[in-house]
Parts: sequence; C-alpha cells; structure tokens
Amino acid sequence: MTNIFTAPAIAIDGLHHSYGANPVLRGLDLTVQRGEIYALLGGNGAGKSTTLSALLGFLRPCSGSVRVCGTDPVADARAARSQMAYVPENVSLYEHLTARENIGYFLALAKAERGGDAIEAALSAVGLTQAAKDKRLSGFSKGMRQKVAIALALARDVPVLLLDEPTSGLDPRAVLEFNRLLDAAREREVAVLMVTHDLVSAVDIADRIGFLSEGKIEEEQTASTAGPRFDLNALHDRYTLVAGAPA
Amino acid sequence: MTAVKLIAREEWRMLARNRSGLIATGLLVLLILVAGFTSLESRSAIEADRTRYQASVDETFDAQPDRHPHRMVHYGQFLFRPIAPLAFFDAGVNSFTGNTIFLEGHRQNSANFAEARQSSLLLRFGQLTPAFILQTLAPLLLIFLAFASVAREKERATLKLLLAQGIGGRSLIAGKMLGHGAIALAVGLPAFALLLGFAATGAADWATVGVMIIAYACWLLLWAFASVIISALVARPRDALAILMGLWMITIILLPRALPEAASAQNQLATKIETEIALHRDLLKIGDSHDPDDPYFNDFRDEVLDRYGVRTVEELPVQYAGLVAIEGERLTTQIYADAAQRQAAREREQNAFVHTFSVLSPLIAIRQLSMTLAGSDPAAHQDFLDQSEAFRYEFVQRLNRMQAELLPEIGGEDPRISAAYWQEVPRFSYSPFNPLADRTRIIWPLLVLAGWLAALCVLALFAARRIGGVAR
Repeated sequence: MTNIFTAPAIAIDGLHHSYGANPVLRGLDLTVQRGEIYALLGGNGAGKSTTLSALLGFLRPCSGSVRVCGTDPVADARAARSQMAYVPENVSLYEHLTARENIGYFLALAKAERGGDAIEAALSAVGLTQAAKDKRLSGFSKGMRQKVAIALALARDVPVLLLDEPTSGLDPRAVLEFNRLLDAAREREVAVLMVTHDLVSAVDIADRIGFLSEGKIEEEQTASTAGPRFDLNALHDRYTLVAGAPA
Repeated sequence: MTAVKLIAREEWRMLARNRSGLIATGLLVLLILVAGFTSLESRSAIEADRTRYQASVDETFDAQPDRHPHRMVHYGQFLFRPIAPLAFFDAGVNSFTGNTIFLEGHRQNSANFAEARQSSLLLRFGQLTPAFILQTLAPLLLIFLAFASVAREKERATLKLLLAQGIGGRSLIAGKMLGHGAIALAVGLPAFALLLGFAATGAADWATVGVMIIAYACWLLLWAFASVIISALVARPRDALAILMGLWMITIILLPRALPEAASAQNQLATKIETEIALHRDLLKIGDSHDPDDPYFNDFRDEVLDRYGVRTVEELPVQYAGLVAIEGERLTTQIYADAAQRQAAREREQNAFVHTFSVLSPLIAIRQLSMTLAGSDPAAHQDFLDQSEAFRYEFVQRLNRMQAELLPEIGGEDPRISAAYWQEVPRFSYSPFNPLADRTRIIWPLLVLAGWLAALCVLALFAARRIGGVAR
C-alpha cells in the first residue's frame, strides 16, 4: 500500500484518454516529487489541460493510473482535491465579492479556514495593495484576478499546486514576484505542476521541464545545478519543434 | 458551516449585492402586500354590500301587504351569496359565477350578476389577488433569480475552481437549491403572514390556512428548484433562461387555458336554451292540473280524497289548489334537480379531465387547491346553489301549505292571508362551506405538487452526477 508521506506528490503512469474517437493522452508518464517544480510545455491540443483535469478527477481515464499524494482522484476526488490547489488558465472568481471575500469563501468550501491573518498574508504575498484587497473583483484587471487566484492557491497551504498558465496576464515584475512565491513554496516541500507556454518563466523557476507532444512526454530536461539552469536556446528550438510554433 | 450552507449563503449574498434582483424581489413582495390589502378591502366591501342588500330585500319581503300566498311564491326572495373569508386571497371563480339568486316557485333560477360582468375588462385578465401573483408572477421572479445559478458558474469557469476545492456535485446543487428555495419562501412570506394574520383573527381556521401555506410553499419551491436544476443541466445561462421561459409559458399560460377547451370539446355542456327546452319538455310530461282528463292529477285527486275520506274537493278541509301546488312543486323541483345533477356531473367530468392533466401543469394543481381552500372554487359555488335550492323548496312549500291550510277559513273571491305570516317564512342562513370536508379534492393536487418536487429531486441527483463532467 502506498504511503501518503513517501509517495510522489504526483504520479501519472501510462495514462490514456480520448474525447470520443479523438485520443488526447497516449500513455503519459509523469512524476513530480515534493519540493519540485515541473513545467509542462506543449503546443495547443497536446493534452496539457487534460492532464490537469485528470489530476483533479474531472475525467475518468481510459487506462493508466493517476495518483495525487497516493490518492486516486477518480476513486476519491474529495480526498485528492484536499491535497491540491489549482489556478485555472482563465481565472474567474466572483465579481460581487472582494478579493478577501473570494479567498475566504473558497477556503471555507475547502474546509481550510485559515483566519483573516493568513488571507491577509496570502494577498500581500502576491503584491495586492491594501485598497485592492477590499475591492470587488468587478473592477480588477486580468493580472489582478490572477494574483487573487494565486493567493488562494497559496492560502490553501497544500502539498500540491496545479497551475494552468499562471503567468498569463501578469506583467514582468509580477512574474518575478510569482516566481519568488513558487521558490518559497518549493522550500516548503510543495510539489508544483505548471502548465505553461512561457518558456522564459519556466526556465527561471522549474526544476524539470517536460515537452508534451501527441499525448505523452516527448522530452524532459532537468535543471543543472552548476552554471545556467537550462540551455534556453536549445529549449526554444525544441519547443518550436514540439509546439509547431514559436514560443 | 457545511459546504451546502456556504453555497446557499453565497447565493443570498449575491442577491443582496445584485441591485436588479433586489429591486425585482422588493417589487414582487410589495405587489403581494398591495394585492393582499386591496383584496381584503374589496372582500370586506362586497361582504358589507351583500349583507346590506340581503337585509334590504328581507325587509321588503316582510313589509308585503296581506296577500294570497301564491302571489308571495312568485314575489320570491333574493339571496346574496356570502363571500368566503379566504376569498380575498384567491377569488377563484367567484368573479365569474353569479352571486345573486332569485328564488321563486316552479323553477330554479341560475345565479346572476357576476362581478366580472359588472367590472372593468381588466378583471377578466385575472384579479390582482395574492394567489394570482404567487401563481403567475412569482415563478417569473424565481426564474429570473435562479436561471444562471449553476450555468453562470460553468460559463465563467468558477465551477472548476469550486470543484477543485473538494466540493461534490451534490453539495453544489443542494446548496443552490437551499439558497434559492429559501429565497422562494422569503418571497412568499408576506402572503403567508397575511394568511396567518387572518387565521389569528379567527376569520379562517388554522388547518385551512396551514394547508394553503404548505401548498404555496411547495409551488414556490418547485419553481426555485426547477430553475436551479435546469441551470445545472445546460451549458449557458441563456439556454437555461430560454428553457425556463418555455416551461413557464407552457405550464402557466398555455396548458391551463388549452385543457379546459379540450375538456369542453370532449364533454360538451348543454347551452342554456337547450337546457330550457329539455326542461320544458319534461315539465309537459308531468301533466296539467287544470285538465279534468289529466291522468296523473286525476289519480292525485283520488288519492287526496281517499286520504281525507271525502268524495269531492269542495268537501276537503284544505284548499285543493294548495295541495296541487305542493305536489306540482315537488314534481318540478325533482325535474330541475335531476337536470342540475346531470349538468353538475358533466361539469365534474370536465374538471376531472383538466385535473388529470395537472400532472403536466402544476399550476392547475395549485390553482385547484388554492380555490378549494379559499372557498372560491366551483364546488363551493355549487354548495351555495344546493343550499339555496333546498331553502327555495322549503320556502315555496311553506307558502303552498299556508295556501292549502289557511285559505279555506278565509274564503271569498280574493282570499288573502295576513302580512304577519310573511315574517314566519324562514330566511336563508348559509352554512359556510368546509373546504376540508372532502379531502379527495385536496389530496390529488397536493400529490401532484409533491410528485413534481420528488421528480425534481431525482433530476437534481442526475444533474449533480453530470456536474463533474461538465467542469471538464
């Protein structure tokens, strides 16, 4: 029996999934350890979002297995989701609520009520001003909404973070701040799976970068401990080849 | 706090911060209160008018001079139908049935002077009563408030985020249903308070008011739940709105009007002229008391003579014409009663046809239930007609007996009895109709409403199972 404390934070093994007659994932193998940031890159339709859906238990795979901290999200979605925080690609929170209320509501739903201080700290960590914290989201830009969603994920204080295009809509300074937050998460032994098109950001922060093509990991590179973490040019060429378009 | 309560509370917070939703809800609540108080006022005015008219015609009857009793049989009496206490809440068919009936010998008259004929055309669109607002307008408000409840979460992708927090489909749907169910009951609250207030004054009994509140609570919950569930089953709020508006139009506007037409086509009632002709034919068959060769009345005369032990009608201690009037009244009343029963049976068949289809349109169920409990349904009107007919028969026969028994002592060319006798003639006293007496008329509509709620709960389970898939 898998030990929840020793099992990899994310373990995907031989995952196949099709939408009707259209196969999307074709034997995906992916493992993310605690304290590791994994950037998953791939072109449109490569299966990146489907991979996240499988981890969240939103779909029943055709074959293969998925485990989050040792829990099968299909068999026990609630238990698996209690271990994960998720930042969707197109962040949409409740516009009639303030940033603080949004986070309070979602935390309460997740039975992760952290109290006002934790919410305050999470919102400050993502760089939201004091005034913005108590402003309704209807007046927020896309980047500000993204920050609130990231703050929610941080406030959940869970061992796994699933991020779908997390830097989309963020200005360069905010991207740097975000990377700093991920760095801090890594220090806390949080496993991060980041689906992104932002190769530069991935190179800056990821421990491993995987290229997803035709439903499986085509190539995987690990950050070097000495010298530059990754060879950006080589990665760029590889990504162009896999994605079929410039990164 | 459980996830279900949290989601429900969030729906309330959203409504509280949604100005258009709040204004629409406030307006409907105001409309219910205005309708309640104006209907109450109108009911009191009608009741006062009818009491005054009744007292006036009774006084005029008592003031008639010395007369031949048969003149008084044709002078007759007017009855004004007392209005049921809860009719202020639901006027039912009261506006369309007559409220005044003229009682006289030899014939049953129908009730006349319906409010709808004397009022403006607006009344024919539906009287502004709390029942009308709850039945017709409240569902529109509940649709408006809830059509986007779940579909909005899908469209704006907050559903995925909700589920990612570990919320199950069941909790989500249950929370939305709890939230909008509570809003629906809050919308009905002013009407329920009016009913309870009325019961507290003793004007209506608690049991009737209690069943009425339960029925309307089911009705409002039904629309709130249907709106949430449809919203959960479709991808976009506008699709939910289109389906719910279609449902509203079919179940509230179309079917309740089309079904009575179908019932009428399937089981046609005789027209007034046809009924009159048929009655006239039946009356002719009785015979003619003035015809010396009429076999029926010859037998009747022989039977009377035998009973009194005399050989001629002149030797009778009572006036023979009075006895003939008593017998004639008995026979004509029987013919009218048979015809009325046939007509009532056909009307019942028509109503049964319509009520069977209340499975398709729960408005028919709540309308029937509401009218029944308010004492403004066709059965309550029929009860008034039955009581007035029973009274008419007693009234006419009392005068006929006066003719038979008192006139021989008076004699003369133009025999009259004292005006003092008119005050001995009984006055109509209406025994209020008990809507709970015949439980079958209440149980079926309640079952229909409960069945709809149960079916919606099953559909909610199905929708909840699909939620995870939809999030993908």
